[in-house]
Amino acid sequence: MSLPILYTTVVGSYSMPGWLERLKTEYFARRISRQELDEIHDVAVKAAVKDQEVCGLDVVTDGELRRDNMIDYFAERLPGVQTDHTSKKFYYDFYDSVVRGKLPMASLRLSDDFKFLAAFTDRSTKFCVTGPHSLVKRIKDEYYKNEEAFAMDLARVMNMELKELARAGARYIQIDEPYYSGFPEDLQWGVKVLNTLVDGVDAKIALHVCYGNRYGKPSWAGNYRYLFPAILEANVHALTLEFARRGGEDLELFKEFPNKFELGVGVIDVKTHEVETPEIVAERLRKALKFVPAERVFALPDCGCLHLPQEVAFAKLRSMVQGAKIVRKELGA
Amino acid sequence: MILHVNHIPQKQNALAGNVACALVGVAADGQVQGPVLENLNVHLEWLQYKTNFREAIALRRAVRGNEVLPWIELGVDLRQVQPDCLKEEVVAVLKDAEALDGSAKRVYLEPFCPGRLGMIWQFNRLFWQHLPLWESASGQGFERALPGGTSDANHPEAVSDAVTEFWTLLNDLDTRKQLPQEIFTIEIGVGTGQRAAAWLDRFRAFDREKGTNYYPRIRFLLADYSMATLNRAMEAVREHRELASFLAVDALDPFKSLSFLRYKVLSIHLTNVYDNLPTDEVVVRDGKLYLVEARAYVPTTAAARISEAFGIPVAEFRRTVSRLLEVGPQHIHHNGPELGVAFWRSVWDAIRLEERYVAIQGILDVQLPAGVKPGILETFVGEGVMNQRFHISSGALESFVNTVPLLHPRGFLQVQDIFVTKLDDYGRLFRGPGKMDGSIVNWVNGALLAEVGAQAGYDVHFAPFPYRQGSRTSILYTTQRE
Repeated sequence: MSLPILYTTVVGSYSMPGWLERLKTEYFARRISRQELDEIHDVAVKAAVKDQEVCGLDVVTDGELRRDNMIDYFAERLPGVQTDHTSKKFYYDFYDSVVRGKLPMASLRLSDDFKFLAAFTDRSTKFCVTGPHSLVKRIKDEYYKNEEAFAMDLARVMNMELKELARAGARYIQIDEPYYSGFPEDLQWGVKVLNTLVDGVDAKIALHVCYGNRYGKPSWAGNYRYLFPAILEANVHALTLEFARRGGEDLELFKEFPNKFELGVGVIDVKTHEVETPEIVAERLRKALKFVPAERVFALPDCGCLHLPQEVAFAKLRSMVQGAKIVRKELGA
Repeated sequence: MILHVNHIPQKQNALAGNVACALVGVAADGQVQGPVLENLNVHLEWLQYKTNFREAIALRRAVRGNEVLPWIELGVDLRQVQPDCLKEEVVAVLKDAEALDGSAKRVYLEPFCPGRLGMIWQFNRLFWQHLPLWESASGQGFERALPGGTSDANHPEAVSDAVTEFWTLLNDLDTRKQLPQEIFTIEIGVGTGQRAAAWLDRFRAFDREKGTNYYPRIRFLLADYSMATLNRAMEAVREHRELASFLAVDALDPFKSLSFLRYKVLSIHLTNVYDNLPTDEVVVRDGKLYLVEARAYVPTTAAARISEAFGIPVAEFRRTVSRLLEVGPQHIHHNGPELGVAFWRSVWDAIRLEERYVAIQGILDVQLPAGVKPGILETFVGEGVMNQRFHISSGALESFVNTVPLLHPRGFLQVQDIFVTKLDDYGRLFRGPGKMDGSIVNWVNGALLAEVGAQAGYDVHFAPFPYRQGSRTSILYTTQRE
C-alpha cells in the first residue's frame, strides 16, 4: 500500500476513555476477570481504529489501549522479568518488576495484537514497541552488571519479537525511547542497543524520542542537540520528534547534521486540549520542509494521545489530516 | 437517640458529661415525640474556632429531592452550650424541625446551596478586597488573627530552608546544563509581602555567598486576587523591584493568567491560601451519603439590633447586606464609609449557617472541579465508611490542578497550610468552617489532594511545620510521580 507524501499517523496511543481506565483498575481490584478485560480491550481497540480511519489517518495503530503504560505491557510479557501484580492500585501505575537472572529467549506474543489490528482495518498499520533503554529505567535489575548489558540482552530477546512482527505483516514498526531525553549521557550505548534491537528486521523502523508524556506532562526539559551526532549511527529509517509544543528551533539540527532519516514531525501538541487549526498544522509542516525534503517528511502528534479526551484527540487528528492536505496541495502532490 | 461524642478536649470531659446527662434527661422526660427520638442523632463536639458559623445547638435535617427524610441530627457545640438551659433549648430546636421552610427566629440571606456556592464566600472575597478598611476599623493587621499572631509563611528559618532547597535544585540543573536562562518562581497569595521580601533577601545573600550569580536571573511573580494586597506587597519587596512582578491572579485558576509559563516555573509557593478557598462537604451517616447544603442567616434578634444601630429599617436588612456584597462597604451607608464598614463587621459577626443533608445516590454524584476524575472519590472514600463528615476542598483541588501545569519538569509546589492527611482524622477535630477575622478558614483535605496529585502525575507529601512549637501547619510539597 503506497502512502502519500506528508502521510499522517499517530505516535501510538489514542485517547484512553475514562470508563476503560476504571475497568482496567477494576481488574486490578479483582472485580472483573482477565477474559472480560480482554473482550473489553478488543471492543475499545476496534473503536480507536475506526476513529483514526474517520479522521483520515494514512497509517493507524491499535491505539495501545491494551497497555497500562509504556512499560508494563512489555514487562509482564518479557521472559525472566518478574512482576508483582499486587504492586499497583491504579492501572496506570508501574508494576514493581525485577529481573533476577539472564533473560531467556522466548516470545512476547506481540504479534497477536498486531494481527488483531490488521484484521480490522484496510489502512496501513504501525506497531509500536518500547525500546530497551526505556525499559531498563523502569525494570529493576538484580542480575546484569550494568544498564547497558541489561539493555543489550533485552534487545536480543526483543529482536526476535520484532522479526516475528515483520513476519506477521508489520511493515511499520516504531521504537519508543523517550528516556533518551532524561539520560542523554546514555546515548552512545543506547544507539548500539537500538541497532541490535532492529538488526535484520524486515520492516520500516522509526525511532520516537520525545520529552516524556507521563501523566500528560513532560518529564524532562532541554533540546534535541544531545541526539547529534550519535543518533546518525542509528540503523533506523525515520526519527519522530516533538516540535509542536517546543517550537521548531531544533529543526535546524537537520541542516547542521545532514542525514538520510525520514522525519516524523510532531505537529500536534498533546499536552494541551486546545485544538490546532489545520492552518497551524500546515504552518508547522512548512517550517519542517525548509530543512527536510517533502518525500522524507510525515506528520504525527508530538507523542501519544493517551491523555487527551476522545473528542479532543479526534479533533486534533482531523486537523492534522486537513493541515497535511493543505501543504500537499501547495506542493502539487 | 444516638449520642456521638466526636472530639472533646480532655479539659472539657466534665462538661461533656453534664451535657450527655442533660440529653438523656430530654429523652426520658417525654417532651420529644417517639418518632423524632428514634431518628435523633446528637453529635457532641468542641469547635476550636472561637468565632464560627454555628449556634450552640444546630439542627440538621436530611432530604431527598422534596422529601424530608426521618433522619434528624443535632450538633452541640460544647464551647457555646449552657448546660443549665440545654433541655429547653433542645426541645425548642426540635420543634423548629417541624417548620420545614425555616425558623421565624432567623433572617435568611440566601436559599440552601452547596457549601462552595454559599454567600459566606462573597464575604470572604469582600474581606480581601477591602482589607485596609477592615484593618483600619479593627485596629490591627489581619495576621494578628492567626495562631501565634503572625503568618507561618514569614518564619525566617522556614524561608531560609526554602531558599537553600531551591538553590540546590538550581545548582543541580546548572550542573546538567539544563538551567533555564530565566528562573521563574511564583508566590500565590502574597499576604503582606513579607515572605517574598524575606525570600528574595535570603536568596540574594545565599547566591552571593555561593558565587553562583543566579539572583539576577530570578523572575519572582507575586500573584494575588486582591489589588489591595498586591499594592502592599509591592512596597515590601521594593529592594527587589527589578526581579518582581505583580499579577492579579485567581487562586482557583492560576493557569488562566499564567499559561505563558506552562512547564517553566521552578517553584510555586502558597501559604494559607487553600484553607481560604470554597469547599463542599460530604457526610456519611449509617453508610448513606449526603451532600451538605447550607444557607446563611442572621438571628432575627441580631438583625433587629444591627438595623437599629445603623438606622436601617428591619425590612431593609437583607437588601442592605446584598448591597454590601455588591458595591462594597464604602457605599452602603449615607453617613460615610466608617459606618458601612462597621455594618459589615456586625453582620459578619452575627452570620450563621443552617445546614441540611441532601441524599445522593453515590459518591460519583459529588461535583468535582473540572480536570479531576470523578472516580477518584471512590478510591478516596473506599468501602466500610459508616459515619464521617469531610471536606471535598473543592477550591483547593481546583487550584492545585490549575497550578501544576505551570511547573517545570523539575519544579515543585510547596504549600503551607492546615491539612487533614487521613480521612479518619476528620473525626478527631472540628475542621471548619470557622471565622478568621473577616475571612473563612477550613482545614484542607490533604488526603484527597494527594489522590488528585497522583492522578495528575505528582506524589504529594506532607511534613510537619517544625519552626513553631504547637503549630498545626503542615508543609505540602510535590515530587514528580514516576
